[in-house]
Parts: sequence; structure tokens; C-alpha cells
Amino acid sequence: MSDRITAAARRESLALLAPGIAVLLLAFLLPVAVILVTSVRDPAGGLTAAHFAKFFVDDYYLRIAWRTLRLALAITAVTVIFGLPLAWIMVRAGPRLRFAIMLMVILPLMTSVVIRTFGWLVVLGNGGLLARLGEFLGLDGRALVLMHTETGVVIAMAQVLLPFMVLTLLGVLRAIPRDLEEAARTMGAGFWATMRLVVLPLAVPGIVSGSLIVFALSISSFITPSLVGGVRLPVLASSIYQSIGGSFDWPFAAAQSVLLLAATLAVIIPYTRLARGRT
Amino acid sequence: MLDRRKFLSTTALAAAALATPAVLRAQENRLVINSFGGAYEEIHRRLVITPFEQMTGAKVEVVTAYSADMLAQLRAQKDAPQFDVAHFSGGLETQAAIEGLLAPIDPAELPNAADLYDFARAGLSKGVGPTYSTAVIGLLYDTGKVTPAPSSWNDLLREGLGEHVLLTDAASNTYGMLGLLMMNRVAGGTLDDIGPGLDFARRLLEAGAIVVSKSPEIQQNFAQGVAWLAAYAQDYAYTLTKAGLPVRFSQPEEGAAMAPITVNLVAGRPNRELALKFIDFSIRPEAAAGWAEALRYTPTNRKVQLAPDVAEQVVHGEAAIARLVQFDPLVIAEKRAGWNEQWKRLLAR
Repeated sequence: MSDRITAAARRESLALLAPGIAVLLLAFLLPVAVILVTSVRDPAGGLTAAHFAKFFVDDYYLRIAWRTLRLALAITAVTVIFGLPLAWIMVRAGPRLRFAIMLMVILPLMTSVVIRTFGWLVVLGNGGLLARLGEFLGLDGRALVLMHTETGVVIAMAQVLLPFMVLTLLGVLRAIPRDLEEAARTMGAGFWATMRLVVLPLAVPGIVSGSLIVFALSISSFITPSLVGGVRLPVLASSIYQSIGGSFDWPFAAAQSVLLLAATLAVIIPYTRLARGRT
Repeated sequence: MLDRRKFLSTTALAAAALATPAVLRAQENRLVINSFGGAYEEIHRRLVITPFEQMTGAKVEVVTAYSADMLAQLRAQKDAPQFDVAHFSGGLETQAAIEGLLAPIDPAELPNAADLYDFARAGLSKGVGPTYSTAVIGLLYDTGKVTPAPSSWNDLLREGLGEHVLLTDAASNTYGMLGLLMMNRVAGGTLDDIGPGLDFARRLLEAGAIVVSKSPEIQQNFAQGVAWLAAYAQDYAYTLTKAGLPVRFSQPEEGAAMAPITVNLVAGRPNRELALKFIDFSIRPEAAAGWAEALRYTPTNRKVQLAPDVAEQVVHGEAAIARLVQFDPLVIAEKRAGWNEQWKRLLAR
């Protein structure tokens, strides 16, 4: 009797899992497998490393990879710096202020990335808000034009990805008992010392998972870097796109994708280890 | 509760219906063609597809597929082609013809072909369908800022324009590539050596030229007054004019590059006669005039009469057309990936 129940329960959970597993197989594992195979196949069907060799033929693609990594790290750092205080204030704030901040954080998520990026084009571009501010301050006409600069990409991307950081941090910060902070203050720690010695260490898991999400999203992002950064500041994702759409070179695009995946894993795996070690 | 067998059989049926291309279910009096989507497809329907259906009583099924996608589909369907007529822009029809995916046409089978300029029907016997209109790549300029009007590709290097010259990414944009090839030609290069063209572009970049990859960015840069002079297409100059910008197109004295748009007969289909009728209908003067009016593409039919306001904005007529430059699409197909690598290295900061 109980055997039949467990068997049924197992069948039911399997049935519940099936759609998820099917989607994962069809929409993730299968394409990744195809990309892996494409990246090492030569036109005759044999194995080759030529597509990978092309990446290392001179420093052009290496510089693209380095720029991609550098930008992703900078974007992650910016979202931590802005996200942490914001999340902390949200936890401490009264319900009305919290709601207002929450709205400000979540609203951008309701608009498409393309629209948000176009907003930045208006702000960062020639004759845009920043450029006019520069003129007002008596600076050179193009001094504050951040279109087609890495700074511009970081600003626009950080805004796009900030919600992911704040929402992740919020959950962790909320779980820190307020008593701990109060205890630290009673024992003579100042505000900054409390932050550094109590809040920050306890927030590490949130910072880690928030950073992972933001990093993974930035390293593979395409729309914002190509619109704000432009063709003269290629990142890996735009280079992959160009290989497919401009040069019709699928194997090389696949090889670049494999390298992008490898780079992402190389950063993410030690990072998760670190998080596990701390908690 | 859902009966499992019934569920499975329904799913199987639905899957089969999805897997069977609409084409296989098509009747004899039907054509399957591709068009390029969006506003282009709308105008395509108005100028050619709908009137053709009304005239012949045939049903034309339109699948949206750009040239590269179209070529990929024709290749995949080589043994059982699903399209009757394939439209291409950007030179891929020559590749498709060489691979035997397109069928040769006897000019006598297309009554309207006699009125086409020679270049527009030159490939018929080899499987390249007629060019029904062509985009033209020359110079776009802000009439208020660039005086006198540009008349040569070398005007891109004109003193004082530096930071206001706009280039389009040659690696991702075919018009951008054709612009580069024109600069190369003017600077003394050939398709075997695009070094002079790259040097020309390098001088522009060093002078502060802006580089964009998508056409909306061109509009944005002209609208903000940043771009004054750009190497791009005549049809896009019209898009900017319609948007209220003081932008005009100039065909440089050394010539402008042609980006032909062709209508081709797919090989191995049973509807040859109807498909030929459609192709002939596509190249009649009324259609070519319609493309010029709606989008400012250059007509390839001698008999086309353009209204004065249209004629002013479109390269047309025997003499002007003779100055258009057509680069060999096969050489482009063969060399483009290599050019892209050189171009990208020139561009990247």
C-alpha cells in the first residue's frame, strides 16, 4: 500500500519536473551541445582547432575578451556600490519610503532593455543632457559626450542591471537581525564600524549571488554595449553576432561562444566556492 | 480527465500539421515567394503581389525572409524546394544560381525583360533573375552644412568636415561595405587589394569620423547635427528627408555603387509558368516606378516615367545608370570574411 503511494508520488513529482527538464534539454543543453560540436568541426566533418586558433592569431580578439571582462567587472562593482546602500535603506525604511524605492528599482525592469538604452543614448549622446551640462560648465563641446566610450557602457549597463543586485541583496539584508546592529552600537561601535564589522560580513552571500547574476548578465550582454559602445568598442557578444551576421562564419562564432562560456565559468566557479566558504 | 491516447494522437496531428510546410499543401494555382518584411513587404504587396493575385486569380503566399536566410532555406530544401520565386538583395542570387538553386530563364519568356537595362537582365541565362530595382550607394549630405554639395568620394576628406563625416560599419552592413569598396576604387584599389580603401577609411577615422552599424543611428546623428556627410544609400536619404531633415543624396562623379534587388525563379518547382508570369509582372514599368516613388530605389526598366519630384531624388536614365558601379558578387562572397577581419582591426580602439 505505502509502496504504491511512494511510487505514485515519485511519478507525480516526475510529471511535475518533466516540463522544466524538457525545456532545459531543448532550449539549453541541446543548443550548447550543438555549439560545442560546431566549434571543433572542420568543413569536411573532421575535428579541428582552427576556429579557436583564429581567436589567438593576434591580439585583436584577446583585446575584445579583455574589454568584455573588464567592463563586466566594473559594472558589477558599480552595482554593488550603489545597490548595497540602497538595499540597506530599503530594509530600514518605513513602508511608504520602501514602496517608493521598490517602485523606482522595479519600474525599469518593466521596460525593454532597448528602450532604456535609447534613453541613455539621449542622455549620453551628442547634444544630449550631459553634453549640454558640459557646455554650461564651460567645458569643451565633446568632453562630456559619453556615447561610444567604455564609461558610457558601464553607466548604462549598471542602470539596467541594478535591480538584480538590489533585489538579491534585499533578501539577505532583511534576514540580518536588527538586534545585532543595535548590540554593536551599544558596545561602542560607530555607524561605519557597525557596517564594516556586522552588516557587510553578513551581507556577503547576497553580494556574491548578486554579483554573479550581474556579472553573468554583463559578460554576455549585447544590446547595450553595441548601442552605447558602438562598433569601435566591440565586446565578445557583438563579435559573435558579427561573425554570424556579417561574415557568415558559424564555426568561429561557436568557438567564441565556447570561450565566453569558459571565461564565465572560470569566474563563477571560484566565486561560488568563496560564498560557500563564508556561510 | 484527458484521455491519454486521444491526447497523444491530437498532439501528433498538431505536430504533423506544424511540420508540413504550408507549401506542400499548396494547390497548383499558388505561388510561394519571400519578401523582406516591414514597410518593404507592405509596398511589395501593394505594387506587385495583390495586383498579381487579382489579375491571375492565383494565390501568392508570402514568407518573410531576408537574403541570407533565403539562401539558407533554398540550400536546405535543395531536393524538395518549397519556394517558387526568391527575392534577393545584396548579391546572394549569383551564389544561389551557381549552386543550381535557381533556374535559367530565356529572355523571351519575360516580355517585359526587353525594356530592362542590360545589366538588369544580364544573368538570366545563368539563373540570375532580373534586377527589378536597385539601391544606390553614394553620398548623403546636410544641405545646410556641406557647401558646395559633395560631388566626389574625395569630398569625404574635405577640410573642416572631419568629425562630421559618418561611416557605416563595413563588416556588418552591406551598404557600408559597398561604400568602402567605392572609396577603395577611387583611391586606386581593386577587389584583389582593398588596402587603398582601408587607408582612405583610416584617414577619415583619424580626422574624427563617426562609425555606426545600424541605419537608425545614421538618422540620429543627422538629426543631432553631428553627421553632415555620410556614405550611404539613396533610399535612406529619402527616409531622412521624410523625417524632415535637410538631407540630400549625391551621385559622385566617380560613380555610385549598385546594390541590386532581384526576383529569381527557383529551380525544380512545378509552377514554372505561373512563377515566370509573376517575375514578368514584377519588372513591368509600373512596379519599378512604384518602388521609386515609395522608397526611392532606382528603376531598371527603361520605360519608367518618374514624376519630377521623384526624378529629382532618384538616380535614373541611361546616362546616370551607366555610371553606376557593380562589384562582382562572387568575388565579394569569396573575400568578404577576410575584408571583415581587416576592417574590424582598423576600427577597434
